[in-house]
Amino acid sequence: MTRRSRVRFPETFLALALFFLAASPARPAGFSIFAQGAKASGMGLAFTAVADDPSAVFYNPAGLGFQKHFSAMVGGSLLSKVKGEFEGANPFPGPAFGVEEQSKSTFYLPTFYAVLPLTSNVNFGVGVFAPYGLGFRWADAEQFSGRFIAQNAVIQTADVNPVLSLQVAPSLSLGVGADYRLSRVQLERNRAAINPFTQSVVDVAHIKLTSDLQDNHGWGWNAGLLWKPVPTFSLGASYRSSIKVDYDGEGKFTQRLTGNAAFDAAVAASLPQGKQKVAVTIDFPASVNLGAAINLPANFRVSLDADWTEWKSFNRLFIDFANTAIPDLLRPTNWKDSWAYRAGLEKKWGSFAVRAGYYKDKSPQPLADVGPILADADRKAYTLGLGYDADRWGVNLSDIYIDFDHRDTRGQVNHDQFFGQYSEKANLVAFDFRVSF
Amino acid sequence: MKRMTFRAAVSAGVLTALAASPLFSQTAFHKFVAVGDSLVAGEEGNCLVERHQNRSWVKLVANQLGISDFQQPLISERALTNPLTGQPCLGAVISGQTITVGAVSQMGTNQNAALSRPYDNLGFIGSPRIKDFVDLKVSVPGRSGTDNVAAIVLRNFAGGPFEGMSAVDEANSLNPDLVGLWAGNNDVLGAATSAVAIDGVTLTPVAAFEAKYTEVLTGLAASGRTIVTFTIPDVAAIPFETTIPPVVVNPATRQPVLVGGQPVGLLGPRTTSTCSTPPCPLPAGTLVTLSASSLLAQGIGIPVALGGTGLPLPDGGFSPPSTLNPGVLLYPDEVALIQQRTIDLNAKIGSISAANGAILIDAYSLFNEIKVNGFEIGGITLTASFLTGGLFSADGVHPSQIGYAIFADQVIQALNAAKGSGIERPDIAHALLTPNVPTISTAGEVDPSGGPYGFSLSMWKELLGSFGPEEGISVVLPGSGKRVPRVVHR
Repeated sequence: MTRRSRVRFPETFLALALFFLAASPARPAGFSIFAQGAKASGMGLAFTAVADDPSAVFYNPAGLGFQKHFSAMVGGSLLSKVKGEFEGANPFPGPAFGVEEQSKSTFYLPTFYAVLPLTSNVNFGVGVFAPYGLGFRWADAEQFSGRFIAQNAVIQTADVNPVLSLQVAPSLSLGVGADYRLSRVQLERNRAAINPFTQSVVDVAHIKLTSDLQDNHGWGWNAGLLWKPVPTFSLGASYRSSIKVDYDGEGKFTQRLTGNAAFDAAVAASLPQGKQKVAVTIDFPASVNLGAAINLPANFRVSLDADWTEWKSFNRLFIDFANTAIPDLLRPTNWKDSWAYRAGLEKKWGSFAVRAGYYKDKSPQPLADVGPILADADRKAYTLGLGYDADRWGVNLSDIYIDFDHRDTRGQVNHDQFFGQYSEKANLVAFDFRVSF
Repeated sequence: MKRMTFRAAVSAGVLTALAASPLFSQTAFHKFVAVGDSLVAGEEGNCLVERHQNRSWVKLVANQLGISDFQQPLISERALTNPLTGQPCLGAVISGQTITVGAVSQMGTNQNAALSRPYDNLGFIGSPRIKDFVDLKVSVPGRSGTDNVAAIVLRNFAGGPFEGMSAVDEANSLNPDLVGLWAGNNDVLGAATSAVAIDGVTLTPVAAFEAKYTEVLTGLAASGRTIVTFTIPDVAAIPFETTIPPVVVNPATRQPVLVGGQPVGLLGPRTTSTCSTPPCPLPAGTLVTLSASSLLAQGIGIPVALGGTGLPLPDGGFSPPSTLNPGVLLYPDEVALIQQRTIDLNAKIGSISAANGAILIDAYSLFNEIKVNGFEIGGITLTASFLTGGLFSADGVHPSQIGYAIFADQVIQALNAAKGSGIERPDIAHALLTPNVPTISTAGEVDPSGGPYGFSLSMWKELLGSFGPEEGISVVLPGSGKRVPRVVHR
């Protein structure tokens, strides 16, 4: 939670990683990204009580305690926004803009996990992953009806998460770790003004607020417990703390000429010149994951998760310009804590496995906060996975199809006074490759 | 069973589609009639032309109700001529390097004069007071500005199709199920625009207002009819009163001139606690109207030390029995009187509306909220600032098309809340994003005497013609010795 640390060791890797981590259209509730391993993804992300590969660093660090060999796992996710649309309604922006779309780019989010046994019952693990991300980029940004609110909103994170696990008994393991989070944010939008000659709204400037990755970070921690009272049944619990990141960034105002020299001159005189210092704080929420898993006859395994995220910590967005002549942006968000319920199924034939899952996430975002910056929604997700797990290596592949409920602000109270219906569908393909010694 | 389910689904789908369309709204209200003043007519920028009328809140509400046969006295818009033949329409123009206000077009004639029935929008400009909506049964063109416009809108002049019928009579003859009544604004507005606050001259006494408002509203009330009424906005909060600060400003930067680190007050004719010999600096809280612009350009109101004449800005006054001398200053006591009268009249509007079951829209509170916090919509911030705020038109008094769209939205929301109806809210984005300029080929006319805020003597005359005093009172502008002419539009 300190600023401007001189710690530099992970930055080269993380900067490279973040080069790919542009957005997360397949995010679970809010802007968290819970899909951090192909095996877990295939099982509906119900992995807290499974945690039997190195991605346990993320899902439940106690799971490392039952892993007795060095393993390293590299992988990633390909995130695709299948559909991201907005259809406006009266009173603003009205129907004239038709159906407007978000960019449908596919993004790659790499992951890396490793576990190293230190003693017979103490393991060290490390993970590098992106647990949060947001990418709401509107395709035709200069014509988008919500361009005065947001054209492009981005939150990127990259965590380095070293953990230690201790198998305190043959059936019980504990884990604890430190979570170092680098993050950057970006917000772009146009500024509106009334053209006095036409008495109508025109675009007079483009505002781009950005923060650099290396200057903005925070610390947190995670912990977990995994108990296997009988070989065929396990219970798991994990906790990841909140992390506060204070971003120092800059804002740049670029004038959009209207063609009226007198008006443009007046606008130019009122625009902040040069780069403007800006500060933003985001409280990334704490989360608790509870899970159970059972091995059934015929090599079936069923896992269940109930995950709680303390989203009420994200109760406002405050963009603070150092220049007092520039109005700050204070936006009450008033998010609510949310629950997600996940179920996974795995069937094994020797080293081969087929997986399926389902989960249901409740959005923490109230309708009043839904807007072009982020229109989160309740969603249902269906997952499938394949895997081959041998002693020395393994490979997993999975797919998550996420069907978001519509979010409709028509007839509702909305902070942005921006009304219409948001529709979104996304797909996530995850894969990883493991080597063990 | 399957067939029934399918049929039910289709029916539900059709009902849903209908509910989302203006067509469905027709079942809510079939006939909408509006009675009132320039805020009902849709005046903007000191004039009323078809461009404005089609964007008035009244027309927007009619559109949302799905009423296709909504008739208005549509006034054509003409290019500027010298001399003008109609009331000028004001807009932003460029004078040198400065954005200011000038005439951009002028009012023409009524293109819908042959309509055989009364108009659905019976709002008229010309400063009608509350009494005029029941008492003005025979308009006499040339008698007053109110008569001139009433003759066009009500067509109740001698020999006219509706001779002997007041606005309320004409509204009732249309048998509406929804009536909008926004009246009473001119019972206080004249005091603000002439900067003379005198009971019975520029301010209507409360008792007289109460009697006439009751007569108007009870006259409109009928079984099964819904009436929407409005309070009077704080006329001391409009750009016409708030744009020019009571201190000397640099015309180039429009920032206060500082002497010894302190702003320098404009000069007025009254003594103050720190000045016993006029002219004296204006006390805090004094409002300087836009009409002062041309006087400031002549150095009036500016101390000699800062390059002015040292003469005071005119305070205005009334010379019995019938001469009004408009000023450009509203001292704090006058502001307080106007504001208290507005509050008192609004209290009457509220109680009379409640007694008659009308839906009251509190325009007073809405204006005050906007004045303090602005109005945010879709990332756009609108304010009460002159020319650049978006909510007021170029006369600094009337709303812009954006302001009217917001009022239409207020009406629809109030109807939906009170009646449980699902009338679709209007498209404010259209008003925000569509240029509001004359559709004719015209060039802005700049009067070099208009001063830093562009309000020339001729514009002042026009505004006073719009918001003049009681019938029978003459208006004499300072220094001109000329009476304010009444422009007749036929």
